[in-house]
Amino acid sequence: MIARLFATLRGLLDRYRIEGEIAEELRDHLEREIEAHRSRGLSAEESRRLALRDLGGLMQTIESTRAVRATWLDTVWRDVAYAARVLRRSPRFTATALTLLVFGIGSTTAIVSIAYAVLVRPLPYADANRLVFLAEKEGSANFDDWRRRAKSFEGIAGSLADSVIRRGSQFPQQVDSRNVTVNFFGVLGTTPFQGRLFHESDARPDAAPTAVLSHAFAIREFGSAQAAVGQTLTMSGRAYTAIGVLPPGFRYMTMADVYLLLEPFVAANYRGMQNRLNHTALYAVARLKPGVSVTAARAEMQTIAAALGLEYPATNRGSDNPACCVYIVPLADRIVGDMAPTLTVVAGAVVLLLLIACVNLAGLLLNKSASRADEFGIRAAIGGSRWDLIRQLLIEQALLVLIGGVLGAVAGAAILSALVGLAPREMPRLDEIHLDLVVLSWTTIVSCACAFLFGIVPAVKASSVSGQEVVVRSGRGATRSAAALRQAVMLAEIAVATVLLSGAGLMVHSMVRLARVDPGFDPNNLQTVMFALTGPQWPDARRQVFYNAVVERLRALPGVENVALTTAMPILGSNWWTVFNTQGKTAEHWISTGEFPNADTVLVTASYFDTLRIPLVKGRYFDQTDTPNSAPVAIVSSNVARKFWPNEDPLGQQIRQGFPSDPFGPWRTVVGIVGDVRQQGVDRNATPQLFMPVIQVPRATVFTIVRTRETVSASSIEAAIHDLDRNVSVFNDRTVDQLMRDSSSRRRIAMIVLSAFGVVAVLLAAIGVYGVIAQAVAERRREIGVRMALGATGGQIRGLFLRHGLIVVAVGIACGVGAALAAARSLASLVFGVTVTDPATLSAVAALLTVVTLLACYMPARSATRVDPLEALRSE
Amino acid sequence: MNKTQLLQGTLDLLILRILELGPNHGWGISSRLQQISQEGLKTSQGSLYPALHRLEMRGEVRSEMTASENNRRARVYTITRAGRKRLNQETETWEAFALSMRRVLEEGQ
Repeated sequence: MIARLFATLRGLLDRYRIEGEIAEELRDHLEREIEAHRSRGLSAEESRRLALRDLGGLMQTIESTRAVRATWLDTVWRDVAYAARVLRRSPRFTATALTLLVFGIGSTTAIVSIAYAVLVRPLPYADANRLVFLAEKEGSANFDDWRRRAKSFEGIAGSLADSVIRRGSQFPQQVDSRNVTVNFFGVLGTTPFQGRLFHESDARPDAAPTAVLSHAFAIREFGSAQAAVGQTLTMSGRAYTAIGVLPPGFRYMTMADVYLLLEPFVAANYRGMQNRLNHTALYAVARLKPGVSVTAARAEMQTIAAALGLEYPATNRGSDNPACCVYIVPLADRIVGDMAPTLTVVAGAVVLLLLIACVNLAGLLLNKSASRADEFGIRAAIGGSRWDLIRQLLIEQALLVLIGGVLGAVAGAAILSALVGLAPREMPRLDEIHLDLVVLSWTTIVSCACAFLFGIVPAVKASSVSGQEVVVRSGRGATRSAAALRQAVMLAEIAVATVLLSGAGLMVHSMVRLARVDPGFDPNNLQTVMFALTGPQWPDARRQVFYNAVVERLRALPGVENVALTTAMPILGSNWWTVFNTQGKTAEHWISTGEFPNADTVLVTASYFDTLRIPLVKGRYFDQTDTPNSAPVAIVSSNVARKFWPNEDPLGQQIRQGFPSDPFGPWRTVVGIVGDVRQQGVDRNATPQLFMPVIQVPRATVFTIVRTRETVSASSIEAAIHDLDRNVSVFNDRTVDQLMRDSSSRRRIAMIVLSAFGVVAVLLAAIGVYGVIAQAVAERRREIGVRMALGATGGQIRGLFLRHGLIVVAVGIACGVGAALAAARSLASLVFGVTVTDPATLSAVAALLTVVTLLACYMPARSATRVDPLEALRSE
Repeated sequence: MNKTQLLQGTLDLLILRILELGPNHGWGISSRLQQISQEGLKTSQGSLYPALHRLEMRGEVRSEMTASENNRRARVYTITRAGRKRLNQETETWEAFALSMRRVLEEGQ
């Protein structure tokens, strides 16, 4: 067996050499034979004649010897050549089939690759299914208590995304960082690529500051991971020693270049982890002990939260149910988070599209084999074996799917990069996405299976028809069962198109609603940059002077209408949420109402409200009279006023941040009430907002928002700030428009994909319907001729086919609407302002599809009336 | 016509048998066959070469172009292990067959 295979392979390689050698061998034979004859005394001519006769003719023998060398590969090659000829001879069929395959395989592969990379592929951490994400639902410092009390976990680590300013050679540079607890990498199971990760000793108060670097950062800044270890980085005024480099591609939630220890950070910024108040939200990741389920861990955490609620009623009594305060989910769920529904919907849509493409391909192949029934029959009649026929068809379709697969992979790569470009930069695991070869092979296999099933089964059936039958039946076309199959195909197409189009309709409807939402400010023509005044060289007084200078300097730029500074970027929202108390109300009063007054705290310049065009409801905006030394003031949004002073005039109220038991900052007088602002995103409800003058509460990092009359580039703003002080780092330039687009990108992706696929699905369905009716008309030409000869009118003939089409269309749409309603739940978190079963959208979709498909029925039906009865009868 | 037509399938066996005696080229095999069978068996040379190449494709003989006398190149065939194995099998089969034939024919006399 092996020897045979080897000989076959060698035969292939040696083909050309052997062809020549066969001739040489036979010539040698002839000469020997001639010599033998001559030695027996025959004449030269006679010897030659005899030798050639014995050999059976030189050319024939060469030919038959060479034929022995032909292998199965030659047979296949002959079939492939024939298949290529068949495909070339029917270009319309081939082009349509290829389009279907390319589209089906391409888009499915691209989108399923994304969905797989984001949703399914395990997270890049050791034993990742034991990792869970832990957070407090309401902000208080329970982290240390969790660590002490919880028994479900091998370890709990905390981390915070942050950024630091690194003193570079020219301008200071912003570096994305993450502050992590000492055990963070241990919990994730990460091992260093170079150097070491954090030890307990690094977290001691007297330890020298250390940093762990990302692989990309190490390469970028120091040339290699090896060179990076031991380097000193000056960041936010402190010198850190790089102790290690992470493996390439390491990422936790967000990309970060520098990992610093959380413990010293918290001690410096938040009066220690033990402070239960005014604590920044800390998110934890924990590794479950082997065998402990998320459910068991959740139960334990709720018990702990309940106990903490009793021990610290002032801070841990979030609401009536203290167990509410812990949020624990598998880490993978958290990381995928918001994108999961979008991806599920998009992947669902694409599977439907692949289905429709396959169904269409099936219809196409059914038609094709119906029209080739005669060819198959004749081939069978003249002795072609069944296997010959099946092999021929297999090769034809394999060729089709192969070309479709290759082109589909190219299309898939293009679609993939287009979609990744569309995705928001914050999209989880974006960097892990690539065209998945496994997915590509699966979609190709599905198409293959579909092609074989619908292309070969009818052909085999046709081939079993006896030759005589074919001759008698000659040209009468498809059988009844094939017609029924084609109708089923048409019905399925309409149903799938209905589902996709309903989804598209709901998303378009949502986007229209979203565009109509009043965010509470005017988001157009706002350019933003962020700058940071960090380090000991920036005392509050100097910051305050610098704020004013920036506002004045930028206002002088051409095209600038107004300038504001703020700590909360609209759409991104404030990350400073505080509880405040009001003079004259006791803690007991608020506990009895169930909620302490609270709001997102936003520090702003006086020009902020004018710049963003947030309307004044009552009182006044901040103005030039509000200075570092004047009386502390505050402005609240209308919903704060409604919620916490329902029966009083909020103007003139005294408020102070913090719980009554642990207040901080001075008492402030409410001087104004402004309109509600959807600060956290247009699709979120407006949250309570508390505004304070940034001049009274200076901050290191502030956003600059510039309202422009004409386009003002971010770089000119940056240059203007650097004019004032070239050591200030400026970064994150974006327009508010961009932010709004980013914030709605989940919906936009769903809308674009569903709409594009919906349109394609409708087109495919229309083509399918057209094909079925046209085929029916073609098959019934003779009947039509007879009917018309007997006096049927054009209207009656049309009616014959329209009625037939109408029934299938109606059933198809009904099935589709049913399926759309069943699938609607998957859109629930994506729609905005409409219900997923919105009757208006569904009826519009049904109406549109009815019109399109009936039009597709009408066109071939009309052509039926143009049949010339005489010709139709004669053509039989 | 006293030269027996070869029974189908026996050509391979004969070729292998002759090659077992030693490597040979096509013409040599053909003339050796006539010689040994005392002109009783004569193969059509038109089917000899396809059979030789078929045997080579099956790995039962291998061949080599070698320089031969008077400046020509001849393809010389050598039997392989697989060829010997087949020869033994087929020889047994053939002998069993021939024995059965003879028994029936002699019994019938």
